[in-house]
Amino acid sequence: MSEKAILFDTSRCTGCHACQIACKCWNNLPSPTGLNENKFSGSHQNPPDINGTTRLIMTYTENEATIATKRVNWAFGRRACQHCTDAPCASICPAGAIYIDEATGMVTTDDSKCVACQYCSTACPFDVPRYDGVQGKINKCTGCVDRIENGMAPACVTTCQPEALDFGDRDEMIAKAEERLANLKARGYEDACIYGVEEMGGLHVIQVLKYGVEAHGQVANPQKSAVTTLTEIMKPVTGVVSGVTVLGLAAMFGLAAGYKRDKVVYNPETEDTVSLITGDVVQHGDPQDDKSVKEHITENLPVGKKGGSHE
Amino acid sequence: MTSHWCDFQNADVILHCGSNSVENHPVSSKWLNKAHERGAKWIVVDPRYTRTAEMADIYCPIRSGTDIAFYGGMYNYIVQNLIEPNLADYLAGKDVPVYNFEYLLNYTNASYLLDAEYSFDVETGLFSGWDDETNTYSNHSWHYQTESTEEWDTSASGDYAWVKAEGVPEFTTPTIEHPKRDMTLADPMCVYQQFKQHYSRYDLDTVCAICGMDRETLELVYATYAESAAVGKSGALLYALGQTQHTYGAQNTRAMSVLQLLCGNIGVPGGGLNALRGEPNVQGATDMGMLVHEHPAYLKWSNTTDRSSLRKWLESQTYSDGYYTNKPKFLVSSLKEWFGENATVENDYGYDWWPKVPTHKGAQDYTHISTFELMDKGVIKGYFNWGMNPCHSAPNAGFVRRSMAKLDWLVVADQVATESATFWKAPDMNPAEIDTTVYFLPCALIYEKPGTILNSGRWLQWRYQAVEPWDEAKPDYEMCDLIWTSICDLYEKEGGANPDPILKTKWDYYIDGKIDPRPVTWALNGYEIAGTEFNGTSAAPKTALLSGYANLKADGSTACAMWIYSGFWSNNDAPLDAAEQPIGRRDNNDVSGIGLNSNWAYAWPNNRRILYNRASADLNGKPWNPDRVLCEWTGDKWNLVDAADFTAVKNGTPVPPNDKAFFMLWEQNARLESYGMNDGPLPEHFEPFETPVDSNLLNGSLNNPCMMFAENESTSHGTVEDYPLVATTYSVTEHWQTGGQSRMCPALVEAMPAQFVEISEELAAEKGIMKGDKVRVFNNRGSVVVDAVVTKRMKPMYVHGKTQHLVGLTHHYSWAGVFGTGDTVNDLTPNVGDPNSYTPEYKAFLVDIEKA
Amino acid sequence: MQLTRRGFFKSVGAAFAATAAFEVAAASPALAVETSKEWKLVNTEEYTNICCYCAGGCGSLCSVRDGELVNLEGDPDHPINKGGLCPKGAAMFQLRNIVDPETREIVKNPDRVSKPLVRRPGAADWESITWDEAVAEIARKVKDTRDATFIENENGLTVNYTPAIASLGGSQQNSEEEYLILKMMRSLGVVAIDNQARV
Repeated sequence: MSEKAILFDTSRCTGCHACQIACKCWNNLPSPTGLNENKFSGSHQNPPDINGTTRLIMTYTENEATIATKRVNWAFGRRACQHCTDAPCASICPAGAIYIDEATGMVTTDDSKCVACQYCSTACPFDVPRYDGVQGKINKCTGCVDRIENGMAPACVTTCQPEALDFGDRDEMIAKAEERLANLKARGYEDACIYGVEEMGGLHVIQVLKYGVEAHGQVANPQKSAVTTLTEIMKPVTGVVSGVTVLGLAAMFGLAAGYKRDKVVYNPETEDTVSLITGDVVQHGDPQDDKSVKEHITENLPVGKKGGSHE
Repeated sequence: MTSHWCDFQNADVILHCGSNSVENHPVSSKWLNKAHERGAKWIVVDPRYTRTAEMADIYCPIRSGTDIAFYGGMYNYIVQNLIEPNLADYLAGKDVPVYNFEYLLNYTNASYLLDAEYSFDVETGLFSGWDDETNTYSNHSWHYQTESTEEWDTSASGDYAWVKAEGVPEFTTPTIEHPKRDMTLADPMCVYQQFKQHYSRYDLDTVCAICGMDRETLELVYATYAESAAVGKSGALLYALGQTQHTYGAQNTRAMSVLQLLCGNIGVPGGGLNALRGEPNVQGATDMGMLVHEHPAYLKWSNTTDRSSLRKWLESQTYSDGYYTNKPKFLVSSLKEWFGENATVENDYGYDWWPKVPTHKGAQDYTHISTFELMDKGVIKGYFNWGMNPCHSAPNAGFVRRSMAKLDWLVVADQVATESATFWKAPDMNPAEIDTTVYFLPCALIYEKPGTILNSGRWLQWRYQAVEPWDEAKPDYEMCDLIWTSICDLYEKEGGANPDPILKTKWDYYIDGKIDPRPVTWALNGYEIAGTEFNGTSAAPKTALLSGYANLKADGSTACAMWIYSGFWSNNDAPLDAAEQPIGRRDNNDVSGIGLNSNWAYAWPNNRRILYNRASADLNGKPWNPDRVLCEWTGDKWNLVDAADFTAVKNGTPVPPNDKAFFMLWEQNARLESYGMNDGPLPEHFEPFETPVDSNLLNGSLNNPCMMFAENESTSHGTVEDYPLVATTYSVTEHWQTGGQSRMCPALVEAMPAQFVEISEELAAEKGIMKGDKVRVFNNRGSVVVDAVVTKRMKPMYVHGKTQHLVGLTHHYSWAGVFGTGDTVNDLTPNVGDPNSYTPEYKAFLVDIEKA
Repeated sequence: MQLTRRGFFKSVGAAFAATAAFEVAAASPALAVETSKEWKLVNTEEYTNICCYCAGGCGSLCSVRDGELVNLEGDPDHPINKGGLCPKGAAMFQLRNIVDPETREIVKNPDRVSKPLVRRPGAADWESITWDEAVAEIARKVKDTRDATFIENENGLTVNYTPAIASLGGSQQNSEEEYLILKMMRSLGVVAIDNQARV
């Protein structure tokens, strides 16, 4: 199988939410069932963001019109895993729960291996992986690799009525995106662009953005963060495959005292805890630590969450 | 619709007016996108900037309820810019590619001369024939002048020999009146000249002032859509409830038909008048005539005036010419299916057992809005709700639930306890004071039972049962059988008020002793009575199913409930196997190249995919557009890509091309002017029942003079002084109707957890409302609290020179349900209706709004 | 046995293919991945159906294992929707079963009522009733109402109607059901028959 990609053409998208729903249904993801438990966001964007049981949402952004015959630029966007080639979540995952599917390039998951450390969330430049407190697992788009292996497109793609979503060889998707871009430019959409060809080493979600990058809620120039650097250091270690090593890596992150998700990371070489935002060392390593790996992992999880069922 | 979903891809111009199809008919987006990317121009005219508007090239706002002014302006534009400057050239034999004169002259009644008494009075807003006493019209003066007449040839060798056959009920055959025509369109009484004069008032500035549009955008819309009037071009007009739910909703739909005829867009690929039906099988229910005055398959139900006997029915309903000369065959076959062997020529095939709907002067109306008046008055005592939820969906819903509280009994068949099932639990009701007995019958889901369903494109498709219903839920056909057979047992044992209509009814749709939808398909398809056995076994079914409606007879030898469906279930080799029937075909290889998919399932009538397809070719049978061929005369026969919707062959001989492109009408030409409407022969602009303006800029009548139910006691009228905002209601793509189905799906409740009111930033600032605030929307019928969506997509408009705010409300939530509930938005809508269809005016009314 | 779309064993074959593919994936060097996940559609039969929302007539595929629905999505062979389904169509599985957010088990949809109920005059809540009782009571009420209000002749004309019973709905049913409902109502003498097409 050659490298695959999802193509999302926002100019074909009608913002119908079917992708969001089909994702839930195929993956047996629940929605809140309490009476009026779902709160309205004040716009069509519900839930307002991806969460532990929602891997994909549609986004809706309104800007002043740039086309004379339209009232407003209503940009529909897709917020979900972008399936980076240089996927920090996969390289940072100490448990092998997130990995790149070699056959397709999709960044997929194996729930049974997740130790709920949530470092993937920290590492992701798109803020995608989310923690599912009930399962005690990280939840993110798997690329529907199960479907792909069975000759089907991802559930979101299959369901898309306006054919805004497409799936196939990445090269072919990029070529289609270019065709679509030319069509849009000809229709006066001057800010239209393609996203995902080069970002993060090349994404496996290629997007045609009718009103430009920001309008559709995309991150301009996503960069390797401090985490990415750490990830690169870790790579030789992760190459030595053994359960102990894997858990050891998890522990290195768990060891970081004062750890807060999305804020700090642990550098295994220096044994320092580093702030992701400032780059400063917030705490130096403690070689005298004698807690078990699992204790370290679980003690840093938010209260009430069930983690670490791996052992 | 006259076309079908896949045909949108063939359009050159797309006009959405009164439809938000990418949201409410999402599959349309697939086909519209294909046309758009091919280069079609896409226009959306809507009060709100919808998800469909975002897809389009041109968005043109419109004040709710002013569509006829918009269409009238477009007619005027086409007359002044395309027809008048070129007519003389065309008549002189010159080539005029920008406008299809050949279509207008030959396939419409533009050249027909109207009765000398025909007139329209701008001062009063009334057409000729008005009766002040009854507030109704006589349509006499709306008919044509007659050139000559002709009688049916019923001799043994004549076209109508069948009339004299044994078993055919006696009736006086109709006289064909050939209308007078002026093919130069110069006669002042010809339809074209009257039409031109009528719409000359609809100039751009007047239309803008009424509709709240700006002139530049309006002109662009008109010019763009008028491109579809060029020879070989097609424009698709898509509409839905935004057009029909007005006190002139039927005239709105006529206005669109007229526009499509004026542009030569009916019967051509990529054209059509596309009524996007909103319920899964509402096409089927309409076909089935599940409406007070209707009979299955677009015949009319028996009544107390022109259809008070079989003979009267045949004489008033049988057309003098065209395909509906065959109506006697359809009706007799329907009676034979209904009453079986009890129907004989001697007893008029049982016609008088059918209930006659009162239609004489002063008779009670029994349509939807009126039924609640009748409950309130204690006339209607028992009520069945089959998967419909009037306590939520009917206008002035507060009155609806108070009326339903006066019922003796109510039966609700549904999958959830709807608002109607639980009206006695509504927040403002006191159960202790309500004596209604309510039965809730749990129904099977769509994939828990088999059966036929029709889509908007008239395709009949079969649903296979995938799983058994949960617990004790049953398919509706089984419930219906249980109730019916119990009632029959009671009448057999006890007698009662005239039991004959019940006990003479044929009800034998059983296989191996169990009720089964498949023998019902035989009834719908039609069969020869000799050779078909009902109540049979799966081992030895015996049928003589008809291959099509051409085989129906008026002599009692054939039976058929739905002549238009005939042919969909016609394979006698496997009468119990849907997969072996035309309905079950699954060949998706589209040999037409234009998406007809003629070998997939079955489309009524006769597997026609595009209605009126004769009009896709010129007078000589040459297609207007060689890339989009439906039929083509080759010189000695018709090459048919679609099944012919015209007489292509008669008695085995090909019929050369003629001008009879609309053979479902007796004149066989389509009507720019029509005598068939109750409220006027041409669409004329009137204001909604509740309007923000105090005058009609186009004529002297503010409202439709024929508007229904405005005088009912339960109907309260709000004024702009008290309720200054124009409101309209609509659906979002994540939910559906009253939410009975969509609010039971947690993923949909999560994706759209509440109903909301959309308001402009300007109105929000005026009222101090922020995004996400709870707001109260109210008028003199009700008050609801909903979430506020403050958006750039709504903008104030300028109407009659003043700023006018417009708000939009979704209507999917109410008190019933376990995942998501809300207030009942239809507490706000007025229970007034259209004089042709009696459809309520949900789409334009007045409210005010405040922070809750 | 109802017809399936492409035969019963297609999905079983696909499961073998899935296993092979997983082995390929597992050979990747970084982190060995084993999975106990079974292909969702293993051993399923497919039944085609048509969506229950707007009148698009989109085809759906119901995948059934051991008599239970395990998946519902668009029918890829269908010429109108080509496998697509809108948000409502895509959620049709949930009409029957939903995922419990706490246990993550697939459970019967708690909003659905799947047994007959009756609400007696003045009562504040429902009570249970059997089908036999409900049908017998309804038949009795229909007959009593009809007998008390039936008009056989009016102004010298045979009219055979009752103004006292109304029937609403039909657009949710299959056509065969529509015919039976209509036939029952008209033969009872009901004139107040309407459905969603009116509004």
